[in-house]
Amino acid sequence: MQTPNQQQRLAALRDVIADIERKPALAETRQRVAADADGFPLLPGGLLQEIYTDEPRNAGASLGFALAQAKGLMTKQRVAVLYLQLARDTKGTGMPYGPGLVSFGFDPSAMVFIRPANMGDLLWAAEEAIACRAVAAVVADIVRPHKNLDFTASRRLGLRAAQSGGSMFFLRYGAQRPASAAQLRWHLMPSASAAKPYDDHAPGAPRWQVRLERGSIRKEQAQWVLEWTKHGLADIASQSPEQSLFGAALSRAVPAQLADRLSQTA
Amino acid sequence: MLFLPSWPTDYLRRRDPGLKAPLALYERIKGGLRIGAVDAEATRRGIRQGQNLADARALVPELTTLEMDRPLLEAGFADFADWHSNASPMVAVLQDACAFGDLVLDITGVEHLFGGEAAMLRTLLTRLRALDYTVAGAVAPTIGAAWAFSHFARSQVVESAALAERLEDLPVAALRLAESQVATLAQMGLTTIGAVRQRSRKALQARLGQSLLVRLDQAYGQVVERMTPRLPQVDYHAERRFADPIGLLDDVLAAAQDLAIQLCLRLEGAGLGAQSFHLFLYRVDHKVMTFSVNSARVTRDPSHVAALFSHRAERLAGEYDAGFGIDMVRLAASSLDAAPASQVGAFAEDDGRIDIDQLNDRMSSRLGPLAVLRMQMIESHLPERAARLVPAQAMAQEAGTHGPALNRPLRLLPEPEPVRISAEVPDGLPALMIWRGSRYRLVRAAGPERLGAEWWRSGARLELVQPRPPEPGERPVPPPYQPNLPLHDQAMLTRDYYRVEDETGRRFWVFRHGLYGGPDLPVWYLHGLFQ
Repeated sequence: MQTPNQQQRLAALRDVIADIERKPALAETRQRVAADADGFPLLPGGLLQEIYTDEPRNAGASLGFALAQAKGLMTKQRVAVLYLQLARDTKGTGMPYGPGLVSFGFDPSAMVFIRPANMGDLLWAAEEAIACRAVAAVVADIVRPHKNLDFTASRRLGLRAAQSGGSMFFLRYGAQRPASAAQLRWHLMPSASAAKPYDDHAPGAPRWQVRLERGSIRKEQAQWVLEWTKHGLADIASQSPEQSLFGAALSRAVPAQLADRLSQTA
Repeated sequence: MLFLPSWPTDYLRRRDPGLKAPLALYERIKGGLRIGAVDAEATRRGIRQGQNLADARALVPELTTLEMDRPLLEAGFADFADWHSNASPMVAVLQDACAFGDLVLDITGVEHLFGGEAAMLRTLLTRLRALDYTVAGAVAPTIGAAWAFSHFARSQVVESAALAERLEDLPVAALRLAESQVATLAQMGLTTIGAVRQRSRKALQARLGQSLLVRLDQAYGQVVERMTPRLPQVDYHAERRFADPIGLLDDVLAAAQDLAIQLCLRLEGAGLGAQSFHLFLYRVDHKVMTFSVNSARVTRDPSHVAALFSHRAERLAGEYDAGFGIDMVRLAASSLDAAPASQVGAFAEDDGRIDIDQLNDRMSSRLGPLAVLRMQMIESHLPERAARLVPAQAMAQEAGTHGPALNRPLRLLPEPEPVRISAEVPDGLPALMIWRGSRYRLVRAAGPERLGAEWWRSGARLELVQPRPPEPGERPVPPPYQPNLPLHDQAMLTRDYYRVEDETGRRFWVFRHGLYGGPDLPVWYLHGLFQ
């Protein structure tokens, strides 16, 4: 049983460890996020983030979440996003697709694809890229865990990212969580998409359910349901029903529905 | 001109010092085994090129014979020739008489580096003789004359004033003539070049053909003879020689950095930049290693060039073999273009694209140019054709012009994977999918988006061109380029694409190839993953 005195000492020691570990990037993030309005915050650069999803068939969703964040990091000086994947892993998950990037709202000419033959080269390329001041984000798609990608390697990349100000995203799959020095670890699941106006059967704007497994960016919130819209990431859960897309007041006249159906808005 | 009469045997003996002294190489000519090359010892004992192998063995019973490996010898001689570019940048192999043995160096403007023509000739000859090569050489104003003197006279330097007089006494064979021509001239009683020169040209042409006159004019310099240098000509290069050969890769890279600074200063003086840089490493044992790096932008930044070479060195994988050491390093720049001086610093605009291009250069030099890619959009409505990956160095970053924003998946599979789909009615929306052994209940779907084949790209026409079957003993001709397209097939022309979503929210792009109601059932494929 701990006495209050011991608890105080423990807390003090934890602070010291936090200082030693120097995670200024995350502390700064928290301050900035606190100042933000509600909704999903735009996370600043310099973070090492891992995005876990259960299976490679969700690869589209996790890439979407990473690119949604990377798009917000691009500035006039930081003009490129790098996508890294081992050449042999492409068959399972596919490659980012130019017209798809356009329809996602991302300029494909800003993306550079790196396809190294082995993990050593991939880690070298990631480090070289994240150290470059013109790179907004590096997205490394790791389909299978590899012994070279251990705590030391991720710590190294995290320090580089904090130093240069670009963000590093690891897209990873499966239920295992190998040791890593990532500041944020997300668990992402695709979620049923938003309703499409005028077509109930069609998939609408993509939605993801993300849960923060490590690190925190905002007090008492670790789970979001996000929707990717033209204006960025929208937090569905925090929206009040009147604001949500379901009941949003349309700014134009609603066309008459087909004659054999009842009008849905009447 | 350097003449190495017994180069093949000398070369083989350097590779294998255990070969016994009278050595001859034979090859199969017109169904018979004939001597193709002999060494000095065998020549002295009366063995000639072109002799029958059996005759040669009868003449010298202790003769060592080997079959001649022409590709090996030609490659070896090419290396040998390249290595001589440490004496002069323009080196050519003269193949008039034999595929190997005659080396032409254009020493115009370089002889002063060796202390004059005579000293240069002596240097070149002694360094080869020290390696047990039989070699003769001559310096002359024309290639023809140099060939004549090196083959038929002592090694010497012939000034242009004395050229005509000295050529007079040489035998007619020194004109690089065919054997039949030499024989005809001998019948006419003409044995020296001087005697030929006194005859009327018209008569000679009528009897022996134009080629004799051309050879005569080439020797005397009345017709310019061109040489084809083996290595491409570079306008800008810097080189460094070492008194002691170096072997460590780090030393080579340090030398490359040093040379990059020298070279880039010269480029700066000329207002130029380059896109390709080549590093030539001259080994003491007659081999040249070449490493090249490329830059997406025209550059003359020595630190960038040196960094590219050090990254390139990470990817050597056995290419680098210093052997007995490297005694000269040369750095050359090619793909030159104007690069005007630009103001950097206070008023420069911070353009991230330059940094990205330099990053791509570094990564390409280590990972290989095919591992660093950019996406190029192509105007095509077929999804797999609409975008392709090209090496980033070949495509500078530019704001792309995109067509209409179509609903396309964020990831496209490299090739569509077959799936099983069931729908409530044949042409209805997909309701159930089996992909990679799992079942997906599709709750939402949108489509179809019908895409037709591009009829203007049918491969049928190209595939009609069948290559002619090769004759026996002839190398087969590779077939003409055939794009890997199916033949024009009316039933297989259309794809109907659907965007589908399963109950957990995974979104896929599937298509149906073919139509219902035809002879074959349509096939379903999964082509992409939505975000």
